[in-house]
Amino acid sequence: MTSKLCVGQFAGSHGVRGLVKLRSFTQDPADVAAYGPLVDDTGARLFKVTLQGKAKDLFLAKVDGVTTREQAQALAGVRLHVDRAALPETEDDDSFYHADLIGLRAERADGSLYGTVKAIYDFGGGDVLEIRVGSGALEMLPFSKACVPVVDVRGGRIIVDLPTVVEAREGDEDGSEGGDEAAEDGGGGLEP
Amino acid sequence: MARSVWKGPFVDGYLLKKADKSRASGRNEIIKIWSRRSTILPQFVGLTFGVYNGHKFLPVIITEHMIGHKFGEFAPTRTFYGHAADKKAKRK
Repeated sequence: MTSKLCVGQFAGSHGVRGLVKLRSFTQDPADVAAYGPLVDDTGARLFKVTLQGKAKDLFLAKVDGVTTREQAQALAGVRLHVDRAALPETEDDDSFYHADLIGLRAERADGSLYGTVKAIYDFGGGDVLEIRVGSGALEMLPFSKACVPVVDVRGGRIIVDLPTVVEAREGDEDGSEGGDEAAEDGGGGLEP
Repeated sequence: MARSVWKGPFVDGYLLKKADKSRASGRNEIIKIWSRRSTILPQFVGLTFGVYNGHKFLPVIITEHMIGHKFGEFAPTRTFYGHAADKKAKRK
């Protein structure tokens, strides 16, 4: 579980009045300034940011204390963080922040260690956990109730039920050779 | 130009048979496939496929919204992973 989350990055200056360009990493980009003051990598500098507009895929923001182009330019590249505690609770029991899941121990049902959650991806086909297993290899596991029946964020672990993997190859014993126009009838669509 | 409607959707035939088998077994199964070109059909809904992206097999849980798309659309071959930030994952 991570305590500081990187939510954005200053990307340069805009104009001569100290506006900065801000790149957002949040799910809804406009939320970058919604979690209160932002801090830099070290936590030493605190930025109060107000969004003013957009320039292509970046936001234009006013930062308290930054009034000149030079000051804004000097901030370029600074990454912005919020505290994990600043995020609101998730809306249901099956939603989890990526930051909470990353780093959890993945255990099998018998309690033996399977690996550690390294990342979560969503490529459009449901969320996927990337787990670094004991050998150092990375395994992908669908984030479903069947494969991850228990998520215990406070306990620092998830329980995984590893699915059986079967292969569907061209020309295997129960498959036909090559492409097929939707069905064995050779075209005209599938029979219902 | 779009594919002619009279041809029907393209799908590699062996996927249909494997999907039927997997559904009949009722087990928690991932079907590894290399056929990124195949169209997702209604009989695949609810199954989980591992779609090859040239490097690894990415799990794809098929939902009804995916019908008509190709498997390859859900397993990008080039990825920018980005930051976790405030992103949420939903367990299905």
